[in-house]
Amino acid sequence: MTELVQQLVDGLGRGSEYALIALGIAVMFGVMHLVNFAYGVLITVSGYAAFYVLDAGWSWWAAIPAIIGASVATSLVTELVAFRRVRGADDATMLLTSFGLFFVVSALFVMYVGPNVKNFERPSWVTNTVTVGSIRLEVFDLTTLGVTAVTLAGTAFLVRRTMFGISLRAAAADFDAARLMGVRSNRVIQGAFALAGLLAGIASVFILMRAGRTSPTFGETAMLKGILAALIGGLGSLSGAVIGGFTLGLVEVFLIARLPDDLVGLTNGIVFVLIALLFIFRPGGIVSVRHAERV
Amino acid sequence: MSIALVRRGLAPLGGSAVLFGVLLAGATLYASSGGASRDRLVTQMMINAIIVVGIQVFVGSTGILSFGHVGFAGIAAYVFAVLAIDSERKATIIGNAPFGLADVDVTPWVALLAAIAVCVVVAVVLGLGLVRSGAQSGAVAATVITLSLLFVVHEVAVNWTDLTGGDRAGLSFAIGDTLSSMAPVYVALFASIVVARLFAETRVGWYARASRDDTLAARAMGINPSVPQMVALVVSVVIVAVGGSLRVYDLGTVTPKFFFLDYTLLTLTMLIVGGRRSVTGALVGTVIITAGNELARYLAGPDVDVPGMDWLFREGLSEIFLGGAMLGFMILRPKGLLDDWELDRWWSDRWRRRHEATPTAPATAPAPSPATLTTSAVTVEFGGFTALRGASIAARNDAVLGLIGPNGAGKTTLLNVITGLVPPTTGSVALDGVDVTSWPSHRLARDGLVRTFQNLRLFGSLTVRENVAVAALVGEQFRGDRQRPTVDELLAVSQLWEQRDRRARELDYGNSRRLELARAASVAPLFLLLDEPTSGMSETESLEMIGTVRTIAAAVGAGVIVIDHDLGFITGICETITCLDQGEVIAVGTPAEIQADPAVRAAYLGTHTPSAP
Repeated sequence: MTELVQQLVDGLGRGSEYALIALGIAVMFGVMHLVNFAYGVLITVSGYAAFYVLDAGWSWWAAIPAIIGASVATSLVTELVAFRRVRGADDATMLLTSFGLFFVVSALFVMYVGPNVKNFERPSWVTNTVTVGSIRLEVFDLTTLGVTAVTLAGTAFLVRRTMFGISLRAAAADFDAARLMGVRSNRVIQGAFALAGLLAGIASVFILMRAGRTSPTFGETAMLKGILAALIGGLGSLSGAVIGGFTLGLVEVFLIARLPDDLVGLTNGIVFVLIALLFIFRPGGIVSVRHAERV
Repeated sequence: MSIALVRRGLAPLGGSAVLFGVLLAGATLYASSGGASRDRLVTQMMINAIIVVGIQVFVGSTGILSFGHVGFAGIAAYVFAVLAIDSERKATIIGNAPFGLADVDVTPWVALLAAIAVCVVVAVVLGLGLVRSGAQSGAVAATVITLSLLFVVHEVAVNWTDLTGGDRAGLSFAIGDTLSSMAPVYVALFASIVVARLFAETRVGWYARASRDDTLAARAMGINPSVPQMVALVVSVVIVAVGGSLRVYDLGTVTPKFFFLDYTLLTLTMLIVGGRRSVTGALVGTVIITAGNELARYLAGPDVDVPGMDWLFREGLSEIFLGGAMLGFMILRPKGLLDDWELDRWWSDRWRRRHEATPTAPATAPAPSPATLTTSAVTVEFGGFTALRGASIAARNDAVLGLIGPNGAGKTTLLNVITGLVPPTTGSVALDGVDVTSWPSHRLARDGLVRTFQNLRLFGSLTVRENVAVAALVGEQFRGDRQRPTVDELLAVSQLWEQRDRRARELDYGNSRRLELARAASVAPLFLLLDEPTSGMSETESLEMIGTVRTIAAAVGAGVIVIDHDLGFITGICETITCLDQGEVIAVGTPAEIQADPAVRAAYLGTHTPSAP
């Protein structure tokens, strides 16, 4: 029983990080139907931002705004140089655009910063734990969980209740019609990218605090987990992204704990098979966002 | 009846030979002026070309972007390596291999066959999943399923060390035990090109492209999109499996990262730069990207020292080139250099144009074999809204039945029920006395119920002639006993002959409507169900459509059920009219009777008259 609760707690901790990453990916998909591989770029850039400011002697508290700022700025730049030009193309075209972008940016880091891993100091409290009864809680997980909850609530409020959010959803549903109705669609799309950058920045802070390093392809793993979580939840749905993140975290922790020793290495493989199965039987993800086609 | 669409054998074969010949000549010329490193580059390019052509077969004909084909190549590579490496060497690198695989000694040929077999089995499972998920061109869910396969293969390869040698060591052949002659590569590449081109010109290949352009319309024409998707997947995976096996045999070693994201980027960039809808394009892209990549690698290498260019000529340049090519083409030319241009199609089209004569309308029309279509008390509820309330109609295939009624009366819903797109809540549909309620659309079409759509649904990237010819293939396959005009005759009857070689998406409204009609007729149906065939037409055009619809229906011996709002058209064409209002049939009669009917007038004009039929 204790073991089960412990796994539950660990799974939620892991899942909250995935959920945080998935939120920004879900926003992107909801607005532009873009499965954004370039999300990994934002995390990578955040990593180098962290490396440079910490290397310059900044404290972690001062580094946080720098990390988030770098992420937002990068997100806006990707919109300007790439995604603006494929707006309205089919999903596959946009996906490949982001795929190409991811490799270009990674290569730029290889060229001008170097292929090596850059290490930096992690905040000391990252490894702290508190024990409640016989359950061990990581302070870091609790923080992530709290921040995820606040971020989800904030994003949901922004998207559902503010003028910006309404314009965003209008532009997402029909870019041209929204324009004709007086929505400044370009601005709104930029806003969406800024929002995604902000969410990626917040997620990056946590990823980097735990990792303490960065490299040209650092964002890849986190980005893949985020995309998977968003897909599991049902791309485009904010609550779906969070549910997907937690689901992924829990499944991973339970698989690692329950699989026989010689199969533990296959955890990720099994997770992917499960995801493929989910997609086969429920192509829309857990929280389906579907549109009927009129004939 | 022969259909010009299916260019049997010769042209694709000749085109493939020319493509392969040019590639081989160029490669030989290039390799002859350099050392062993050029030979290696040529070999690798040819093997990559096999894999890219394989991916093209699936991506090009179904429109589903696949990240999984590199995963298939990886599966093939590992199966091939595990079997083909001799047992002596296996004892030292994977002595603990499961299933006694460490003791297996087979020839490379057997290993290749096994690799293909394993890949086909996985492809069938994956394909069933894709079909189950309702995979459609350009949509993301299918791509994610294929992406999952790539990840699964990678994870298994990294972690199942007893079998795969793991992340670092991988599997490697003993020195001198690898590919020693170029002959297998040449044969495999030539065969891949031939298979890819022949597949594209088969019936299934055409069905695949029609479904890619519009899945719903393909269904309505009698095509079950799952079948061509599945066949295309298996054919493409066989080619990719050969390529993957050759790649490991040539390199002499395989580790998980050989078949992961980097290789996906390389092969997909090759495909996209050339044009994912064209085999010729796949080859052109492979050559261009290989050359560019090699140039980038050379410039970034230690042999080049151009003053002032150091900021660019350094490590990472070839990744910039690949990613940049992908990005640039997506932004500027997503269809690639060649789009769907094929060498052999180009010359066979030229040949055809030079030799074809303007067809005349068919001299004899088939005598219609009598058939009836009835709906009995069809009710359809969407949530709380009742779209149809006990609607019964009866139609014969020697007459034209009109369906009229105000907006929202349920006309299109009734057509959707008849053609299997919407299941009725209660009630039934019978064709010639056979209950066909809720049959899948494609089966109904094969049995003779073919429709057009209110919002045009043509196969946009196919030409006008190809649109009609694809439907004729369905007719030939499933309705072979029916006498029918040729594709060209149908084009002549529908006044589309002059437009025959234009892409359907370039047509204006009136021509698009006529093309939908001709395409539907080309299946040789018992009934043509037309949903607002004159919408968007001028008055003159509408009246002309009376003659066009009648001639076309007569040419294939089909009855007509037509929805329209144009009173001139509907009274001119129909023998009988059924009027619907709020989901109920309120009047049935000749055009004159309907025009005089007080209930019909009330429904249209809103005057409240107590008399209800």
